[in-house]
Amino acid sequence: MSNIEDLIDKLAQDTTTVKPAPHPFALSAKWMLTAAVYLAVSLMISGPRFDIETKLHDFWFVAEMAALLGIFFATSLSAALLSFPDMHQKRRAVLAPAVAFVVFIGVMFLSWQADSPPAPLPRHSFECSMMISMLSLLPAVWTFFQMRKFASTHSLWAGSIAMLFAFSIGAIWLRLDEINDSIIHVIEWHYLPMIAAGLIGMWLGKRFLKW
Amino acid sequence: MTDTTDKFAVLMRQSLDGDKRAYAELLQETSRFLRPFLAKRLSFTNEVDDLLQEILLSIHKARHTYDGNRAYKPWVYAIAQFRLSDYLRSHYSDQLRLALEISEVENNLPENVTETTLSYESISGEIQKLPQKQAMILQLMHQEGYTAKEVAEKMGMNESAVKVAAHRAYKVLREKLEHS
Repeated sequence: MSNIEDLIDKLAQDTTTVKPAPHPFALSAKWMLTAAVYLAVSLMISGPRFDIETKLHDFWFVAEMAALLGIFFATSLSAALLSFPDMHQKRRAVLAPAVAFVVFIGVMFLSWQADSPPAPLPRHSFECSMMISMLSLLPAVWTFFQMRKFASTHSLWAGSIAMLFAFSIGAIWLRLDEINDSIIHVIEWHYLPMIAAGLIGMWLGKRFLKW
Repeated sequence: MTDTTDKFAVLMRQSLDGDKRAYAELLQETSRFLRPFLAKRLSFTNEVDDLLQEILLSIHKARHTYDGNRAYKPWVYAIAQFRLSDYLRSHYSDQLRLALEISEVENNLPENVTETTLSYESISGEIQKLPQKQAMILQLMHQEGYTAKEVAEKMGMNESAVKVAAHRAYKVLREKLEHS
């Protein structure tokens, strides 16, 4: 018992003024804003697809982008909440990515149904996954670095959601950059690799978000 | 669910402003309500103390993630549960490692260590002089008729560990009885 009291005395003596962490909504907004700037710069450098104006009038393309943005918002919010030990006592909001993914899967299924006759498959394949991974690398490192400033008690999930957030940035960028309308290709080489990213994120979370 | 009049939340807000006395009081109160929580889940007092110290250090390290505008206890229990799970995970992985080592020893044992020709009642006086755990194992196996597996479940031990403990107890008893 005296050990506990000694420890409490020591901690109390060591304490100084501490600035509380920002609210997770503010944190999430900051991360999204930073990601949006990164995305805009990347698009400026690579140049958007030349038919972007036409595509913005294509209902299924717009629906896909909106669903992708939904994942981007939801994962950012969830990652911010998961950075707090008690998830800021907003457990339901942490599950937002699940809803976003269900919507996204629905949209992709309907897009695939509407893709008739199917758009021709592009010649390339895994290059898209590589490009998304490369573009997502910096946001992933940055997000992990940000999350390490806090104290997640769900490091596996936090890592997974952080990776999905980073990969959603890469996925948005490639969809706005690449001239390709094949839904099959997009599902196979743009979005399915996100599952792998989420799984790798679990391992990364366990490794880097422990405290 | 914001309860700004929550005593703990008020103390934490003062602590974040650098009030050492408020912080000491908060940690004392916290250790007071965490102790029974841990005692329910751990077998030994020294384990409770060790883990409680670790949790208090974690609270100190993560105090910037609490702003004093939401309930304090869920925040503390989240940290406590996190550290408890970590502790139990490493504890059980140690036990598993130990059990593997014991099973290697067990393979080399010359006889069935769970059987003996001695009667429990005739040597109960000597058994009571054994270390508490060994005495308990012999009592359960030979007086109450439990198998090694059942004893292991009852005492939260590995079956091999029970057999080895019983073997050691028999060895001690045999030596004592031979010299008496």
